[in-house]
Amino acid sequence: MDLQLFLLNFPYFVAIILFSMGTLIVLTQPNLIKKVIGINILQSAIFLFYIIVGDIHGGIPPIYDPNLPDALYINPLPSCLMLTGIVVGFSVTAFALALIVKLYIYYGTISSPNFMKMK
Amino acid sequence: MDELVQRLPFLCVIGTLVASFCMPVLARWKKELCAPLATLVSGSVFIVSIFIAHYVMQGNIIRYGVSGWAPPWGIEIVVDPITSLMIMLLSGICFLICIYSFAAIKHELERIVTGWYYAAYLLCMAGMIGLVISNDVFNMYVFIEVTGISAVALVASKGTREATEAALKYLLLATIGSGFILFGIGFIYMITGNLNITFIAQELDPVKGNYPFLIWTAISFLVVGFGVKSAFFPLHLWLPDAHSSAPSPSSAVLSALVVKVYIIAFMKILFIAFGLEIFHETFIRHLILVLAVIAMLAGSFFAFVQIELKRRLAYSTVAQIGYIYLGIGLGTPWGLAAGLLHILVHAFMKTCLFLCAGAIYYQTGRKKVNDFSGMGYKMPITMGAFTIAAFSMVGIPLFGGFISKYGLALGSLEADLPILILVIILSGLLNATYYFPIIGQAYFTQEDHAVHHTDGGHSEPKKFQRDQIPLSMLVPIIILALGIIYLGIFPGTVLNFINQTVAMLL
Amino acid sequence: MHDYVTRVVFRYMLLFVLLYGLYVIMHGHLSPGGGFSGGMIIGLGLLLYILIFGELWNDSFRQTILDSAIIFVGIGGIMEIIKFIVPYEHGPIGVTGTLFSVGIMSVANFGIGVLVASTILGIYFMISEEA
Repeated sequence: MDLQLFLLNFPYFVAIILFSMGTLIVLTQPNLIKKVIGINILQSAIFLFYIIVGDIHGGIPPIYDPNLPDALYINPLPSCLMLTGIVVGFSVTAFALALIVKLYIYYGTISSPNFMKMK
Repeated sequence: MDELVQRLPFLCVIGTLVASFCMPVLARWKKELCAPLATLVSGSVFIVSIFIAHYVMQGNIIRYGVSGWAPPWGIEIVVDPITSLMIMLLSGICFLICIYSFAAIKHELERIVTGWYYAAYLLCMAGMIGLVISNDVFNMYVFIEVTGISAVALVASKGTREATEAALKYLLLATIGSGFILFGIGFIYMITGNLNITFIAQELDPVKGNYPFLIWTAISFLVVGFGVKSAFFPLHLWLPDAHSSAPSPSSAVLSALVVKVYIIAFMKILFIAFGLEIFHETFIRHLILVLAVIAMLAGSFFAFVQIELKRRLAYSTVAQIGYIYLGIGLGTPWGLAAGLLHILVHAFMKTCLFLCAGAIYYQTGRKKVNDFSGMGYKMPITMGAFTIAAFSMVGIPLFGGFISKYGLALGSLEADLPILILVIILSGLLNATYYFPIIGQAYFTQEDHAVHHTDGGHSEPKKFQRDQIPLSMLVPIIILALGIIYLGIFPGTVLNFINQTVAMLL
Repeated sequence: MHDYVTRVVFRYMLLFVLLYGLYVIMHGHLSPGGGFSGGMIIGLGLLLYILIFGELWNDSFRQTILDSAIIFVGIGGIMEIIKFIVPYEHGPIGVTGTLFSVGIMSVANFGIGVLVASTILGIYFMISEEA
């Protein structure tokens, strides 16, 4: 593979690898807390992906500066979108933890391969 | 006047949201007021949606930029015929289930969660309406999450061991699904630099030859994401547990509406944003067709082996989702129209079946399908509605399910795939094999202890008794059953809406 | 938590954490930040306070926190509805570098901050009550 192309698109590979790792952790780990961590990794991968999409090489943060009228700003929209993504991730994590606390009261354990089995 | 109607769809969403957040506060003050207020809100949204549908059917399409920002920068709301039909369906079914909930929630849930239950219920309704009216893909994602999380809350509200476990499973898988959707939206944004569906379609048209792999990847991510969300066959793993362990009103909402709105959103992205050319070229159509056929057969087989009634109904939903995806995959006018019609008909049928299951549980406490002997005489009205819905599910003429299956058959002829007619008939027969034993048992067998009492002498003649359930549970069931018959005999009104949309999409 | 160092350090740190949260909230329209990030900082500061010094507040305070979260969402929704009744254009664009030049935006940011802070505390209370 072309090394320069690889280096230029390196963050995309990281995002995809993290996304696959997160999905794998959610689906295979028996421990429920680890599953929630997997969800967080998956969502962080998406945040990373969006932020790379908005990045422009050599751009500066998109805060308007009257002294630099024709400066190159990065695209702020994907970062703003990810603010919503972070809120969603936060609420999903909180909800999942609440459900896990309740399951712990019922079963006395948070790590069992039977939790996610088809019945 | 026009100005006002333009704002009404967004007002539906915001009004429902505000009402939803009032619920927990109201519940601490007076728990009895929650159910009437929720009914009032969903009823008024239903009336408003009829008004919107009337406006849209005169040939207008509502386009409204939220907060005064024009489309490419702001969030746009578009209400075309199918969307107005979906708003009417969503709020109408939610209204009926709300009436049903008056008695059912008192019976099935603890008193302390009433306020939170109605909050999640109205939040789910607002999310669904917002999802269908939004024309902005990222806004769609936000409403997908709102709908998903509140749907999980509806499952978890029962608080039993099974319900909590099913809710956690649903939450984790749904989050993976929405992660996939968000990734797909990211790819679309990479290609086009737009989030508005109309503008994506404009931007994508000249450049789609340059990014074949990127478009293919985006569609694959979206198919997996929306597949998980709408329980498309190999990705349906969360559905049976979640739908069978939830309280009956929430299983009705989940099964009838929540899985459908994702299909509407997916269809909008697929047909409007990507366009027909990409749909045919990327083999996404073949994937959907094959999986839909497997779903129709496998869902019915799985349903056949279930003993518990609500689990059987849940697996039946998997099969029926296959029908809807089959309609989308065919991509011909009749096929697409039949798929969209099946969304409507299945919402009526499955709501009716789940509400009947809840009513039977309310009166007799029975959940297993082999306990239903003599049920037709104890609860004649409920079982009558159940029979109508089951007949419609099988596809017997004069009932709503027949029209959509007939349309699917015509669609597969149009698409030059006559073998699919066999699959549709086979799946209908499988439906019959798991619905008819219940009905036969309910009407044509004696209850065991009744036989024992007569000591082998003569069996007592069966007598019809009046259902011992409250009127507020009976009325929604009757209305839904009549609705199924109405759709079966006069499908023209609804097909009018759908054909306008199909003419726009294809 | 009975660690002496954390108690002494955090006693002096808390004010600065809250002040920084307020700063981020009030500058939301000028620089990166806003109601969400600032509210998160304030909420986490208060949460740390509760974790270190134990439960200093009683049940009615918890209920007040939950209610304030819900009430602020309600106020936001009612403001949205008012937009429909009153013909409304988006507010002033604002002047670069001037703090109070965007009309209702600062107030809205403050509301979001209170909402987020009370949501975080509310979630903590609900989960800790269950366990």
